[in-house]
Amino acid sequence: MFVLTEMEDDIRVAPHDLHRPHLTAVSSEIKAKYFDKVLRNVGLCVSLHDLQAVEGGFIFPSDPGPHFTVRFRLVVFSPFVGEVLVGRLVKCDATGLSVSLDFFSDIHIPHYNLQEPSVFDEEEKLWVWKFNDNDMFLDMDEMIRFKVVSVKYPPLPVEQEKGATAFATMEIVGDINGDGLGLLSWWS
Amino acid sequence: MKVLQPCAGLLTNHEVFQLLTDRGAMGAVDVSQGGMGPAAIECQVYRYLCAAPAATQTRAAVAACTERAASFGLTRAETLQLVNLRPSQPVEAHLIISDCEMRLPGDRVEQLLQAVEETLPAAPEVEGTEEEAAAVEGVEFWQMFLCGA
Repeated sequence: MFVLTEMEDDIRVAPHDLHRPHLTAVSSEIKAKYFDKVLRNVGLCVSLHDLQAVEGGFIFPSDPGPHFTVRFRLVVFSPFVGEVLVGRLVKCDATGLSVSLDFFSDIHIPHYNLQEPSVFDEEEKLWVWKFNDNDMFLDMDEMIRFKVVSVKYPPLPVEQEKGATAFATMEIVGDINGDGLGLLSWWS
Repeated sequence: MKVLQPCAGLLTNHEVFQLLTDRGAMGAVDVSQGGMGPAAIECQVYRYLCAAPAATQTRAAVAACTERAASFGLTRAETLQLVNLRPSQPVEAHLIISDCEMRLPGDRVEQLLQAVEETLPAAPEVEGTEEEAAAVEGVEFWQMFLCGA
């Protein structure tokens, strides 16, 4: 689920931070710049693992902040295709399910990736898996085990209509069609 | 900004959990600019991992499990998932390991589950984590109130 990503960047420490040890100041700058941001084709940055090299500290003309060339490793949420994850079911509609890990919510399980046969119950607005004459409801807020089918990084839209949902920079498509997948309570 | 290596190494959930604990992620979110306290994302990942098997594991347990699993011929990704998910039933093992019937015939799956059972501690109880989650949420709500968010 998590990988280490080695990065190199030019980090500018603001002049008002110069009283702090420069490693601390550089770490805070990295925190502000990278945490909770998606690196395209890499994943969602969660934390700083370590600083490997901090060089430079040069001051350029008319810029009072020193610039450091920093090599560091980030902890990145980057599930691989075929990985099994456990999340919470947050939304159900006719197109499929929305699953959330607490820190990442753009996980969608389309209706064709549900256990077969599954139907959408219009009254309760929930998906139901009809297994051997039993109705297994996919209730909200239940823990669900799914397999990652693909991780997409859609390009930024040029225009968005008013009132559209916030754009997702990283989307995971999941699959619960298989033995052991679906609600945890089904298989325990 | 240069990405030198997109994947310099895989991390088990336990290693991330350990890192976040060291950074103080169980406390309140640090909303001050340029502070060294935990960021919101770190607290959220910490909360997620508190309910996962990673929360009760230790480095020694993970190393022991990896060593025992080595004799079963699993790939790195499969061993990683074994440690992260701590399967207790054959159906979960079949999910993680591709071509399971061919590679682990007969009793081998049971032996693998036995090895996992013996080396890794049990996953945390749901009640305990709910309390912890409520405690963290309570603190975060207070923070939001303070910041007028």
